[in-house]
Amino acid sequence: MILDFIIGIISAGIPLAAPLLLAGLGEMFNQRAGVFNLGVEGIMLMGAFVGFLVVLTVGSPILGLLAAIAVGALMGLLMAVVTVKFKAQQGISGIGLFMLGWGLSGTLFRVYIGGITSITGIKPFSFPLLGKIPIIGEIFFQNNILVYIAFLLVPISWYVLNKTAWGLKVRAVGTNPQAADTLGIKVERIRFQCIILGSMMAGLAGAYLSIAQTHIFADNITAGRGFIAVALVYFGRWKPAGIMWGTLLFSLAHALQRSIQVYGINFPYEIAVIIPYLLVIVVLALSYKSQLLGPVALGKPFIRGSRE
Amino acid sequence: MKNVRILVVIMVILLLSNAMTFAAENDLKITEKVKIALIIPSTIDDLAWSQVMYEGIEAVQKKYGEDKIEIEVSERLWNAVDAGSAIRQYASQGFDIVIAHGAQYQSVLDEIAPDFPKTSFAYGTGFATHHPNIFAYDPQAQQGAYLLGIMAGLKTKTNIVGIVGPVKSGDAIKYNIGFEKGVKSVNPKAAVRIAYTGGFGDFVAAGEIARTHIKAGADVLSGTAQQSVGAIKVASEFEGILWLSSDMDQCSIAPQTVLASQSYRFDEVIEKIISFRQEGIVGGKHLELTLENGFLEIVYNPKLVSVLTPEMNKVLNEAKTKIISGEIKVELK
Repeated sequence: MILDFIIGIISAGIPLAAPLLLAGLGEMFNQRAGVFNLGVEGIMLMGAFVGFLVVLTVGSPILGLLAAIAVGALMGLLMAVVTVKFKAQQGISGIGLFMLGWGLSGTLFRVYIGGITSITGIKPFSFPLLGKIPIIGEIFFQNNILVYIAFLLVPISWYVLNKTAWGLKVRAVGTNPQAADTLGIKVERIRFQCIILGSMMAGLAGAYLSIAQTHIFADNITAGRGFIAVALVYFGRWKPAGIMWGTLLFSLAHALQRSIQVYGINFPYEIAVIIPYLLVIVVLALSYKSQLLGPVALGKPFIRGSRE
Repeated sequence: MKNVRILVVIMVILLLSNAMTFAAENDLKITEKVKIALIIPSTIDDLAWSQVMYEGIEAVQKKYGEDKIEIEVSERLWNAVDAGSAIRQYASQGFDIVIAHGAQYQSVLDEIAPDFPKTSFAYGTGFATHHPNIFAYDPQAQQGAYLLGIMAGLKTKTNIVGIVGPVKSGDAIKYNIGFEKGVKSVNPKAAVRIAYTGGFGDFVAAGEIARTHIKAGADVLSGTAQQSVGAIKVASEFEGILWLSSDMDQCSIAPQTVLASQSYRFDEVIEKIISFRQEGIVGGKHLELTLENGFLEIVYNPKLVSVLTPEMNKVLNEAKTKIISGEIKVELK
């Protein structure tokens, strides 16, 4: 019974971490380049809608995912133009992007689909042999392909950020854009690239929810997960592994509180549903001393020749 | 023979005239256009609470014609403060009936209603009408839930029934209490497990609760709020799981899973409000939706209804009759 309880929590928690991880890793790139994008939620909604629409009409989940990534790139381009080119305040621009994505996805949903309908989408699959291993098989080898991609992106993101020339430029642009500029790094170009990359991953995260998780699209299907992903970037100290642990902690805590309720453990549900949020705040508070500084230039528009 | 023919003709005329009288008694005579504004927390296509009200008003418009009923809708106004400005705007524009479709709008209506004494405001789920121009509609969700609970209690093989709840208040709590009592009335051994998402619109979380219920042994599930669509979808991915719905007929989401739904007849509520206004009553009434008055009904999925045996149907019909006669009172304790 207890073993089933624990397996149930872990096997439910891991797939739920995937969309947060995809969006969080993407947000990490643009934050490391000095731009925070609060529009992740809106991009996820558009990714969820466009991906769903393509799967519904064409029938191909791969095309659906690609379409979601493409719409993410377009929304990222918009965010980049507004915040990098026109130097608009990043927080407000992000909120605007969120509202655009929310409104547009809901309207297009009504125009092109008209009501709640479902698709087959991407299903979990069991690895041959590995999937049949007791306990471990159920937890690690019976998920959908996007879960593995999301977790694989953790070391890849780390490598790109820390071991490639482009990653070095990203970090330089986010820490001291003026110095980076004097070294010949094109600050605005790097920021454009990072915002677009982050938004593509947010689009993919949205598509995860509609194509791989629920197999439906509904108005506001993300229900705040985009904002959670942004918060988890701070939680993870702008590091891929930190973000991964944050998303896992959050998702496992959610799975735990659901199991507590379902198994009828005598515990007020009002407290249960806030456990994940409490836990994240507590961990953040306790790890205050060990925190590294975030990207110094985060939130500041780059103006060539200025001291800031 | 001739006399027989005459008799048949007379009988037919009498029958027709009776039918026409009956129809006339039930229909309203609308001479002036009735302008109805609707404020909803989600969207008109949420397949639940908001859609069932919208379709109710639409049905009334279809019945009497677009020249008699005008509809305006504002969606996604779950925040009562935002809704307040829309409500005031509609009242200022001369709408006759402004419906704020949620319990959360009660205090906003209490503030606005005195400024527009000729406008009828309506909200629900609720019972309090603090001003003479406020109607409160009140689905007795526990009644239909009791019948759905009986279905669950009779159909569960694992003796575990799961509920996917939004928050522990309003309609949801009435529904859950009624459902649990229904289950226990026919199957005292069955466990009814309830888990809440903490909100109304998180489709993913509702789906995950359904999954957790099923993995923990539940084979019949139920739930309320628009997010239950997410839970139904997850339930449909498992073999042999049944779902019982509330608010409106949700069979179309998963025809092999949704056995029956409790449906609210808001068209009847709207007609009732219009008829009160014609009598010069602009509010101050508590309008219940019950099995007795037919404003609340159970809709069966024709593809799955055969899973209910004649014995089960007998139990259900008896319970329904007893609720209508008042022999069974589904208490909210």
